Amino acid sequence: MELQAANPKTLRSSLVWRLTVFILLLVICFIFPWIVSPLWLRIGTEVVMWAGLAQSFNIICGYTGRLDFGHGAFFGIGAYVTGMTMTLLGWPFGLGLLVSGIVSALLALAIGYPTLRLRGAYFAIATWSMGELIRQIATILDITGGAFGLQLPAVLNLPYFYYIMLLVTGLTYLTTYLLVEKARFGYKLLAIREDEDAAEMVGVNTASTKNWAFALSAFFPGVLGGIYAYWVTYIHPDSVLGGQITDVMCVMAFLGGIGSLWGPFLGAIVVQLIQRVLWVVWGEGTFYLVIIGVTICAVILFIPNGLVGLLEGTGLFSPRESVNELRKKIKW
Amino acid sequence: MILQSHDLVKSFGGVTAVDHLSLEVEKGSVFGIIGPNGSGKTTFFNLINGVYPPTSGTITFNGRNITGLRPHQIAELGIGRTYQVPAPFSKMTVLENVMVSTFMRTSSLRESRKVAWEILERVGLDEKGDTLVANVTLEDRKRLELARALGTRPHLLLLDEVMAGLTPSEINEAIELIRSLRTGELTIIVVEHIMAVILSLCDRIAVLDYGEKIAEDVPDKVVNNPNVIKAYLGERYSARN
Amino acid sequence: MELLLQTFIDGLLMGGLIIIIGVGFSLCFGVMHIVDFAVGEWVMLGAYTGWLMVRYFGHDAMFYLPVIFIIFSALGWVIYPVILQVVSGKRFNPAIMGLIFTFGLSITMKGGALTVWGYHIQSVPTWLTGKTLYLGPLTIPGLRVSGFFFGILVTLLLLAFLYKSRYGNVIRATAMDRDTANLLGADVRKVGAVVYSLYAGITAMSGALIGALFSVHSVMGAKYTMLAFFVVVLAGMGYVPGVIPAAIILGLLQSFVSVYIGGRFNLAALFLVMYGVLLITPKGIFRRGW
Repeated sequence: MELQAANPKTLRSSLVWRLTVFILLLVICFIFPWIVSPLWLRIGTEVVMWAGLAQSFNIICGYTGRLDFGHGAFFGIGAYVTGMTMTLLGWPFGLGLLVSGIVSALLALAIGYPTLRLRGAYFAIATWSMGELIRQIATILDITGGAFGLQLPAVLNLPYFYYIMLLVTGLTYLTTYLLVEKARFGYKLLAIREDEDAAEMVGVNTASTKNWAFALSAFFPGVLGGIYAYWVTYIHPDSVLGGQITDVMCVMAFLGGIGSLWGPFLGAIVVQLIQRVLWVVWGEGTFYLVIIGVTICAVILFIPNGLVGLLEGTGLFSPRESVNELRKKIKW
Repeated sequence: MILQSHDLVKSFGGVTAVDHLSLEVEKGSVFGIIGPNGSGKTTFFNLINGVYPPTSGTITFNGRNITGLRPHQIAELGIGRTYQVPAPFSKMTVLENVMVSTFMRTSSLRESRKVAWEILERVGLDEKGDTLVANVTLEDRKRLELARALGTRPHLLLLDEVMAGLTPSEINEAIELIRSLRTGELTIIVVEHIMAVILSLCDRIAVLDYGEKIAEDVPDKVVNNPNVIKAYLGERYSARN
Repeated sequence: MELLLQTFIDGLLMGGLIIIIGVGFSLCFGVMHIVDFAVGEWVMLGAYTGWLMVRYFGHDAMFYLPVIFIIFSALGWVIYPVILQVVSGKRFNPAIMGLIFTFGLSITMKGGALTVWGYHIQSVPTWLTGKTLYLGPLTIPGLRVSGFFFGILVTLLLLAFLYKSRYGNVIRATAMDRDTANLLGADVRKVGAVVYSLYAGITAMSGALIGALFSVHSVMGAKYTMLAFFVVVLAGMGYVPGVIPAAIILGLLQSFVSVYIGGRFNLAALFLVMYGVLLITPKGIFRRGW
C-alpha cells in the first residue's frame, strides 16, 4: 500500500468512479428479484444474508480486534428465538426479529463482560466454547425441538424475504459505516485495536467500548437468523448452530478484507460463488470445509489484508490518508 | 498539593520496584524525578496512572484518593502521561491520534477536530496533521505523545524521559516547549536522565534509588547531596571525593 | 458409597489421560504464545492413524503409539515454519493471525477427515479391550487404567525432560523470556520447532490411545479442543505444572456430572466452571497464568 498523498485529479475521478459503481450496485440490488429466476433469487438472498453476517463478524474482529469463534451462535440463537416466539408464543414475525436481535446482544454482553478484558486468546476460547455449548443445549432441550428441530409456518413469497434480508444487511452496513467508520465510536475502536493500553490512557473506556461493539456485532446476526428461520421454515441445531456458520463468516470476512467496510461484502460474493461451483462440480459434501480451511490459512499467509487490500492500488478503495487530503482540497 | 503518594509500595514477585515512597508535588510547579536505571521511576508513573495497582499505600490527586482506579478514569480526573517509547495509534493520522484523546472533553467530532488542530499547532505538528503516523520521525512522535497527553486537558502532566533519543538541538526545542506549557494551571512531573534538562526545568527534584527516595530538594542542593552522588557514581567515587 | 467411589475412580482415570493433552497445549502456548485451535484435530488425526495402521498392518494398536509419535512430530516440525511465518509478521496483529491460522488448520483437518472417512464411527480393538480390573466393589476397565498410566508416564517423561535436561532448561527459559533467551544463545526458532513437534507428536499419540479407548470419529476433535481449553484456563495459560491438578479436576467434574446429573450436561458444566474461572481468577486457580 503506498502511503503517499495521491494526485487529487485521479482521486476525484476515482471518487466519481466509486460513486457510479455504488449507485449501479444499489439499483441492481433493488430490482434483483424482478430480473432473475427463482433459483438465482434464492442464491441472491443467501448472498445478501451472508454479506450481513460477514460484516457482523468484521465488527468484532476487524474493527475491534477480537476473535469470536462462536459468532455463528448468534445467528442460530436468532433463528431459534424467532422460531420459538412465532410457534410457541404466536408473536408476529417483526416482533420476533427484534427479540432475536436483543437476546443475541444481551448474550454477547454476558459473555463479553468477563472475557473482553482479558487477552484475545481467552475471548476466542470462551466464545468458541459458548458456541458449542449453545448447539448442545438446543439439541437437548425439548422446547427447541431437540434434535428434531423446529418447524415454522410456511410463507411462499421469495421476494419478500429477499427484501427483508436486504433491508437488514443494508442496516448492518449503514450502521457499520456511520458508527464504526465515521463516528467517535469508530475512532475509539480503532485506537483500542491498535494499542489498547494507550487508548485507555487517553481516556477511552476500553472495557465499555469493547462490550458495546460486541453487542452490536451480535445484534445483526440475531435478526438475520430470525429471517432465515422464517424463510427456510425448518431449522435444527446442526443447520443453524453448527460451527460451519462461524467458519464461513470468518473466511468471508478475511478473504474480502478484514477491517474494511466492503471487504465482507466482496468476500461473501466470492465465497458463495466458489461454494456453488464446488457443489455443482463435486456434489454437496464436506469437501468445501477443506476449501474453507485452506483459504483461511492461505489468506493469513499471503494476503492478510484480503481482496480489498489487493485492490487498494486500483483506486477503487482508497487508502484513508489520500481521502482526507482530497477532502481538504475539495473542501467537503 | 496537587499530588501526594503515601507510603507507596509496588512489588513484582520478589522485586520491590517502589519501596515506601512518599512524595508531594505542589500545584503549578515542575517536579523532577531522577535516579539510576531501575530505580522505580517508570513504575511510579505507572502507579499514578493506574496501569497497575500498588501493593500497598495510596495516591491522592487534588484531595481525592485515586488508588486502584482504572487508567481511563484517572485520565478523566486530569492526569495525562507520555511514554518513553512513543506508542501512537498506527493506522491513524497524527490529527486523528490527538482527536481520540480529546473525546473525553468534547461533545462532537467537529469540536474534537478543532481542539486537536489547536493542540497540534501548540506543539508544532500542525503541518503533519494529515500524515499517517507510520511516516513520521521520532522527534515528531514525541511531540505527538505530548499532544495526545494534552488532548485530555490534564491538570497534571507526567513526562517519562521525553528527551531520550533526541539530538541536542531537539532537546533545546523540547525544553522550550515544556517551558511554554507552564501557565500556572498545569503541574508537570518530569522523569529524566539528562541533568542539564532537569536543572533548567525543575523547581524541585526527588531522587530515587532502588525504589526508595533518597533525596528531595531544590536542584542545587540535590546535585551536591552526597547520597545522590553515591547512588549514581558508586561508593568508591564518593569516598575518594 | 460404591457409586461415589466408582465415579471418583473413573474421573481420576479420565483426568490422567487428559493431562498429556493439556501439558502439550500449555507448553506450546507458553513457548510460542500460540493457542493451537487444532489441538482436538491432532487428537483426531492420531486416532485415525492408529486405526489405519491396525487395519492395514495388523498388530495391536498399542504397538503403534511410538510410531504415531514419530510421524506427527515430523509433521509438526514441517508445519512449524509456516506458523512462525504467520505469527512473526508485521501485519494486522500477530497473535490474532496465529489464532486464525490454527483455526483454519483445524477446519481443514476436520473437513479432510470428513471427506475421506465420512461420519462413520470406528473402533480400534486392542488386547486390553474388554479386560477389566476388579478391585473389591469397583469395576475398572483395563483400557482406562492403561490410559491413565500412559498419561502419567508420558507427562512425567516430559516434565523430566523439561526440568532436568539441559535442553529442557533452554525451552523453559525461552518460555519465560524469549528475548533474553535469544540473547543468551538459545536458538529461539529451533526451540519453537522442537516444542511444536513434541506437542504435535504427543497429542496425536494420545489421540491414538483415545481412539482405542473410546472411538474414532471425524468430528471428535471439538470435544478434545474444549477439554484442552478448559484445562489450560483452569491451570493458567502457559503454567505447565498447573495442568496436572487441573486435568484431574476436569476428569472428576466430568465423571460426577455424568453420573449424578446426566452426561448431556457435561459440556454445560465445563463451560460454567470455565466461565467462572475467567470471571474470578483469570490467571488460573493458581494465579500463575499468562
